[in-house]
Amino acid sequence: MTRLQADLRAFAAAALKELRITRRYPAMYLGMIFWPVLLPAVWVLMAQAYSGGNDARAVAAFAARAGTSEIAGFVFVGFAMYMWLSTILWGPGTALRRDQMQGSLEATFLTPASRLVPLFAPPMAALPNILLTFGVMGIALWLLFGVVPAPDAAIRAVVITLLGLPAMYAIGTLFAAGVLRYGEIGPVVQIVRGTFVLACGITFPVAMLPAWAQFGAALLPPTYIVADIRAVLLRGFGLADVVGDVLITLGLTVVIAFLAVFLFRALETSARRTGMLSRF
Amino acid sequence: MDELRAAIAIGKKDLTILSRYRIAVVSQIFTPLYQGVIPAFLFGASFAVGGRVLGLESTVGTDNLAGFIFLGGVISGLVATSFWAMAMGLRNEMDQGTLEPTWLTPTRHETLVIGRAFGGLLWFILSQIVLFAIGIAVFGLRFRPEIVFALPAVIVAIVGMVGVAYILAAIVLLIREANFFIDCTNFLFSTASGAAFPVTLLPGVFVPVAFALPTTYAMDLLRQNAIGARPALDPTLEYVGLLATTAVLYPIGRWAFARAEQTMRRRGTLAQY
Repeated sequence: MTRLQADLRAFAAAALKELRITRRYPAMYLGMIFWPVLLPAVWVLMAQAYSGGNDARAVAAFAARAGTSEIAGFVFVGFAMYMWLSTILWGPGTALRRDQMQGSLEATFLTPASRLVPLFAPPMAALPNILLTFGVMGIALWLLFGVVPAPDAAIRAVVITLLGLPAMYAIGTLFAAGVLRYGEIGPVVQIVRGTFVLACGITFPVAMLPAWAQFGAALLPPTYIVADIRAVLLRGFGLADVVGDVLITLGLTVVIAFLAVFLFRALETSARRTGMLSRF
Repeated sequence: MDELRAAIAIGKKDLTILSRYRIAVVSQIFTPLYQGVIPAFLFGASFAVGGRVLGLESTVGTDNLAGFIFLGGVISGLVATSFWAMAMGLRNEMDQGTLEPTWLTPTRHETLVIGRAFGGLLWFILSQIVLFAIGIAVFGLRFRPEIVFALPAVIVAIVGMVGVAYILAAIVLLIREANFFIDCTNFLFSTASGAAFPVTLLPGVFVPVAFALPTTYAMDLLRQNAIGARPALDPTLEYVGLLATTAVLYPIGRWAFARAEQTMRRRGTLAQY
């Protein structure tokens, strides 16, 4: 068996283990239905309050800033990104932290398996849950607000999502590395998630931010991913119309991935020296 | 008097433990700000026409967006204190294994919830002062002087929420997945109280549920007095509703808590988690 085959087997085994653990906590599945429906639904009702029940002038003002007058669609796409971002930011770091707390991280790091296994197998196992969340949100958007994207638009949104996956996992890895140095990174992840929510146009148009914050938003891949998904789903844009954004996203992905690899290696070396792998 | 001393001691203990986690302290103040207030403010402002949120004015009778959102945060914070600090705090003691020894002290068990209410409410008041200061400095938050007339409504709502905390404590002591239950019900309770938008915008079937909560009336009275929002009902009727729901919820809460205690004694689950 080659090294690659062995790593792939280890990857599959680690992902299966995660799926098995998830299955043991069925209450989590309730959360995957509850939050993706109710969180954005509340924001759509907030929009009703702020727009005076869809007053034409207020909706036009929103459309000028958001690029679409489809408020429910805007909110639901934003919250789909929020859910995805939460899973990605918590995923790799939480998996490492849990192994650290359970005392199995040191043992895992002593195996000859690639570091990609403990880092990426657990979040990959979360992919079915993310897809389920997206499905639930799509159905809720259709049933509660009557918004149904065209099938070809939905396919374009899936393509953008797939192109955005590496960027999202690179971000997750960047923060997961912090576990090796600091152990508990929950509060930091909360702050980072809050920053993304504020900066990337997830719950409100980026145009509402001051200029300096808009510059910061332009350096974050989720800004482009969420804007492009909205563009193809709600404005009828084709993939060719967003190719510039996709290229920027891929460019940022390369930068973040290199940074994550460098940081992870440096912090792993430090953790081996300080014994942090077995402490919590 | 002994029970009061015990309740104050419990509240002080909770605050001492909280103060040991400084990042958590900062996070508890700033999380509502960057996850709730700022996104809601910028989302609301994106509907503004010529600098005025005309839509909000048409919905609630005032275009004071910052006031509307920050006051929603007050009731949301009160609900969260009741759900997480008062009720879930008891469950946390159960998980840590300290509930059984506490239960064996001569202090009345109802006092355990009251003590948590003291600690939780003091922290709630302090965090609201910080949030209002940030709101005034950064978001142009302004209230009318009449805001003080809403204080009795908030105080009555606090009593009602202690009643709700007894009901929740009874439930979380008996179920296993308490965290998810509290998280979801906290969100629903806060939404149904009109913290994020007026309850009149709720789908029809949920409106009667909203008017069965004391916080709905407190929210409306607070916004009327503080920012001149249009009342959902006649203010006198709202006070009657607030007093009536509190008068019903508090004894129901005490009864539910006593029943849960009986059940735990019978099943021997006090030390389990």
